[in-house]
Amino acid sequence: MEIFKQLPKTNCKDCGQATCLAFAMALATSKISLDKCIHLTDAAREALDSAFAPPVALVKIGVGDKQVELGNETVLFRHDKRFEHPTAIAVSVSDSLSNDEIVAKVDAINNLVFDRVGNTYSVDLVAVDNCSNDAARFAEAVKVVANSTGLPLVIMSEDVVAAERALDVAAAGKPLLCGANVLNYAAMTALARKFEVPLVVKGAGLNELADIVEKVLALGWQQLILDSGARAVGQVLADQTQIRRQALKKFRPFGYPAIAFATNADPVQAVVDAGVYIAKYAGVVVVDSADPADILPLITLRLNIYTDPQKPLAVQSKVYEILNPGADSPVYVTTNFSLTYFCVAGDIESSRIPGYILPVDTDGTSVLTGWSAGKFTPEKITEMLNNSGIADRVSHRKVIIPGGVAVLSGKLQEVSGWEVLVGPRESAGIPSFVKQCWKQ
Amino acid sequence: MRFFPGGRQVVIGEYESLIKAMTKANIPIVASCGGEGVCSRCKVLIKEGQVKSLSTGKLTGEEQEQGYVLACRSFPESHLVVEVSEESKLGVHQVVLGEGGGNLKGRADGSKPGDSILSGSNGLCAGGSGVPLFRKLCLVMPEPDINDSEDDLGRLVRVIRSVTGIKHLQTNLDVLRTLPQVLRQSGWKVTVSLTGDGRYQAVEITEVEPGHTAGQYYGLAVDIGTTSVVAQLVDLENGRVVGIKGTYNKQAAFGDDVISRIIFASEGGLGELQKAIVDTINELIEELAKEQKIKPVDIRAVVCAGNTTMSHLFLGIDPTFIRIEPYTPATNSIPAVRAGHAGLNTHPLALIRCLPGIGSYVGGDITAGVLITGMAFSGKLTLFIDIGTNGEIVLGNQEWLISCACSAGPAFEGGGLRHGMRAMRGAIEHIKIASGGADVEYKTVGGAPPVGICGSGLIDCVAGLYRAGIIDRGGNFITAGSTPRLRESIEGMEFVVSWSGESGGRVDITISEAEVKNLIRSKAAVYAGIRCMLQTVGLPAEAIDRIIIAGGFGQYINVRDAVNIGLLPDVPVEKYSYVGNSSVKGAQTALISGRAWEEIDEIIHKMTYMELSAGSTFMDEFVSALFIPHTDLNLFPSAQS
Amino acid sequence: MTVTIAKEKWAGKVVEMVIGQGPNAIKVGGENTLPFLRFEGEIPNEPVVALEVWDTEPPDWPDVLASAFDGVMGDPVAWAMRCVDYGADLVCLRLAGAHPDNKDASPAEAAATARAVAGAVNIPLMVIGCGIDEKDAEVLPAAGEALAGKNALLGCATINNYKAVTTACVLHGHSVIATSPLDINLAKQLNILINEMDLPINRIAMDPLVGALGYGIEYAYSIMERTRLGALTGDKMLAMPVVCFVGQETWKSREAKTADSDEWGAQAHRAVLWEVITATSLVQAGGSVLVLRHPESMKQLKNHITAMIKEAGGK
Repeated sequence: MEIFKQLPKTNCKDCGQATCLAFAMALATSKISLDKCIHLTDAAREALDSAFAPPVALVKIGVGDKQVELGNETVLFRHDKRFEHPTAIAVSVSDSLSNDEIVAKVDAINNLVFDRVGNTYSVDLVAVDNCSNDAARFAEAVKVVANSTGLPLVIMSEDVVAAERALDVAAAGKPLLCGANVLNYAAMTALARKFEVPLVVKGAGLNELADIVEKVLALGWQQLILDSGARAVGQVLADQTQIRRQALKKFRPFGYPAIAFATNADPVQAVVDAGVYIAKYAGVVVVDSADPADILPLITLRLNIYTDPQKPLAVQSKVYEILNPGADSPVYVTTNFSLTYFCVAGDIESSRIPGYILPVDTDGTSVLTGWSAGKFTPEKITEMLNNSGIADRVSHRKVIIPGGVAVLSGKLQEVSGWEVLVGPRESAGIPSFVKQCWKQ
Repeated sequence: MRFFPGGRQVVIGEYESLIKAMTKANIPIVASCGGEGVCSRCKVLIKEGQVKSLSTGKLTGEEQEQGYVLACRSFPESHLVVEVSEESKLGVHQVVLGEGGGNLKGRADGSKPGDSILSGSNGLCAGGSGVPLFRKLCLVMPEPDINDSEDDLGRLVRVIRSVTGIKHLQTNLDVLRTLPQVLRQSGWKVTVSLTGDGRYQAVEITEVEPGHTAGQYYGLAVDIGTTSVVAQLVDLENGRVVGIKGTYNKQAAFGDDVISRIIFASEGGLGELQKAIVDTINELIEELAKEQKIKPVDIRAVVCAGNTTMSHLFLGIDPTFIRIEPYTPATNSIPAVRAGHAGLNTHPLALIRCLPGIGSYVGGDITAGVLITGMAFSGKLTLFIDIGTNGEIVLGNQEWLISCACSAGPAFEGGGLRHGMRAMRGAIEHIKIASGGADVEYKTVGGAPPVGICGSGLIDCVAGLYRAGIIDRGGNFITAGSTPRLRESIEGMEFVVSWSGESGGRVDITISEAEVKNLIRSKAAVYAGIRCMLQTVGLPAEAIDRIIIAGGFGQYINVRDAVNIGLLPDVPVEKYSYVGNSSVKGAQTALISGRAWEEIDEIIHKMTYMELSAGSTFMDEFVSALFIPHTDLNLFPSAQS
Repeated sequence: MTVTIAKEKWAGKVVEMVIGQGPNAIKVGGENTLPFLRFEGEIPNEPVVALEVWDTEPPDWPDVLASAFDGVMGDPVAWAMRCVDYGADLVCLRLAGAHPDNKDASPAEAAATARAVAGAVNIPLMVIGCGIDEKDAEVLPAAGEALAGKNALLGCATINNYKAVTTACVLHGHSVIATSPLDINLAKQLNILINEMDLPINRIAMDPLVGALGYGIEYAYSIMERTRLGALTGDKMLAMPVVCFVGQETWKSREAKTADSDEWGAQAHRAVLWEVITATSLVQAGGSVLVLRHPESMKQLKNHITAMIKEAGGK
């Protein structure tokens, strides 16, 4: 309603929406951009612009297809909408290692690629850490790393000279410069501007961080990533929570993604801490381990947390076996709405009679919705009976359909050639149904 | 083949099902599942002869022994004598007419329809640029002379224009062929019939009669419901409703709900469905004409209000894509057609206008409802809810309107319930359950012996069962405190509302646990739709100034009980009003008022359609509402006391 | 510049529940803030960790897990004592043997097992049925009666058997775990139904049927966040402490069961991390009782919780 009040209310349709209210609804869910409305007053445009500017700025690290995008976040909790950009996972490499050791670790990092339900996931950044305190050595290490990986880099040095020499060799890849602190921010900002790279700004605590960000902004650089200086997991959680909350309240210095360092001396706890940072607002998390056993859980957690919760929950359309069914076990057809599937699976389990479930792909809609929308049809069920391989697993040709779509039975029998048994309307009726009606 | 009671006879072939035969014999029958042999509501008793039955559905062994078969799955093998049981027959003339909603005869804000829409002479439209769909004008024309030798038609048009202000007029060849003689023989004193509203097409001079013969011309307002059809005969001379008739939509033989009919139409049944609804309306026309002693040809204009699917089927337009994502109908705004073209037995040149809809699932019936509530031109925030097979909801005021449809299912119309029925004679419309479920008091429509329970009775029933501690908030029967009314059946636990023999009832009238849950799902869908809509516009329920309920509940709906079960939002009862069949009322208004069409345009222009299936909010709200009254008890403070 | 710390003033809090009796009783819940945000609220009780003990030998536990209970699996009393040695806050006795496909142990046998375990350990007890609703409706009341007065946590009560389980808790002085499948509304509905059977809300815990990392953890994660926010905004029917059966889900996963590999690293390390990160993530979402299987996971989880509480941005 607040948006609607600012609109012309002429329902002119010039924006492509049917009405001004429809435009307001689309704008509220970011499905349309404000400039589509060409009849706004200047005052209204300004009011809506500031209301709809993303509270966390978009920051990019790297170039090409490995480029990492961070920011544009709009919520504190994923269920409020979704988290937009997954946390970038950076694995650190010390410049104190020999060049061979560096190459070996970077190889290990490059190999941190995992396959999950048909997609591959990997780490995103290699962070070169200037532990040697030697500018020349650092530049060399950066060069070795840059030559060994396609991933964008994080240049980790608070020494302006070392940072500049590293950027001299690696700036083309638009690495993240890490970074500015209370002492070096002017020079670091100048470097970031010169090489046009994003810059980490570190403060000792939130107050100092806000101060330095203001100063860096005053110096004319806005591609920033925030570090409150905290390293203990509890404090990092508190600071990251504040940074996100303040950003959503439009506190300008904190309107940038944040970085967290999993530096716990206990290697297991370091991974656990990194998990907390992924769940709780970090734009970048830097870890030391390149052990796949450490990284796989982090990448999986990131995948889970950054899944869009607004998408309908669907299960994959394939044959599911409940309680190790055999050739004479019943075959249940339902839809691939996950709640529907879980109900049917649970009730088959409680029937204690093993069975197969064939969830037909109805785009995650329930039985009746799927039927109404023409997504749960005799033809689609037949296709699944024919192509899922169920016919090879059972010796009979009987299929149980939900009672709610009993009307499909005649046609399904005709099209599929399977005998159709009409099951109960509610999955809760499965146990008594199957005991009475399933006789082989 | 002969049918009893009634004794109608019909000849059919061996490949025609009994249900086809009954359709031929004009015996309306219930076939909820659309002839798939599933619902078993079309059972008939074979008194003589042999049939071949493909399926016995839910018929009990006892019934089969007695000779009952399913009409939809049985085919004749000899001459037959068939008895059609009362429960299988569609009741006739007992559907909800337009009179429901005693406290809201016209516009819900208390003003009468005439206040803003009707004015001027003869109660006909005068305001606005619109003209009614049909009218007659008595004219006295200046004779041509040497100084004024304009042609006959030009002269007629000039006179009509000066009287009506209508700019664009056209006519047809039939009128032209006789025009010179008619004008001169009548001494330039004629009655002209004008058809068309002058908005979407030019007004046409459809007839020129000698002398002044106005009077005796009528219009028909039709509510084409999925289940029932109601027609009002309106005297277009003075705008008065002179007759009203209702009956079942004959399409019921092809399935209960919109989706079944779309599927049937898509599979080659479009012609049959169109014929069924046209026949239904023609029968109503015949009855109305007989009753009012008029000729059908005196009906000169028709306005229909129906959901988008019904409008498509009525005119034989392919509805296939209404049900398939992204749910696009052939048109939301059907142009005027001639009655002769559509097959209606009115004057063949009578215009038929279907009220425009907003989306595939918010049709002209809802436009009609919004029209008569006046909500689109009111400063008061109004929520309009039409509870039918689909729950349609509209929220808004003079600045904005938003609508959505939630698939509530036909439970509140009695669909899908063993003893559910519409608000017709013998329907239990009010129930009181006392003494922990031992005592049940009820009232039936017309005080007749009970034959089933209609929507308002079902609402009372669920509220009463919960209050009496027979069901828990989830709708599960609590078996601890036992009353003989609570018993085990083949389909689970059930509660006996009325014993057979009681008040002349012929069977035990029951409601089962599954049916209670079905009703809870229906009420949850409606309530979730309301919640989603309020959330979308960011307003609390308290912001609503008035709530107008429409639907086939019969003469009344117990708002208190509807709130108690969580069907309707918990706002003060004074905010509620019940408008009955808003669809036919809106059609009637559009029939007699040109101004109404301007309002309809404005309504369509303002209306935002909200697709509930997009996003997960609706599902979340729906599950939340699957509870009595709701998972968030704070939403129902008054229901807790 | 001084940044004004954004603090939420929450109206409600998580209900505090006592499990066990006497000096060894433990408390869970009671927070009036989001997990570990001590700068804006009180966290009177840390999340607690239970280890699972079975009444029968589990058939499919991988060696990296089973080896931690060498010699005691099959002997629930000895197993429970091993858990006490490992430092568990609670013992979670799972009556798997009551499952009709397992030993179909009778309610009386289950009760005897529960009594024996309770007699051997001095830490509070959770007793979990076999997962078949009808069977649990018989087994849990029997076990509840055997443990009368011990103030144990009995579960799981589902929409199908909550009446029997709740009645047992009311009669014998226990608390109940209310289980519902991945839906905040269904969870709340069950809480209301149980509460309306006169079991006070501080004797109800919620189990949202969490999934493991990689297996739908995000659903439970968001439902638990919403549950906690509901509790904090004053919804009493969402204010119950949340129980997470982390172990049972983790040890079904491919990641915990697959042997050492180059691609995935060492199994023992990976499996424990899988269990720990599943648990720590759910703690971040508001979990109060974490039921694990591996003692090493428990140790790591407890270390993490201690670090969180100690270092969590002081006031």
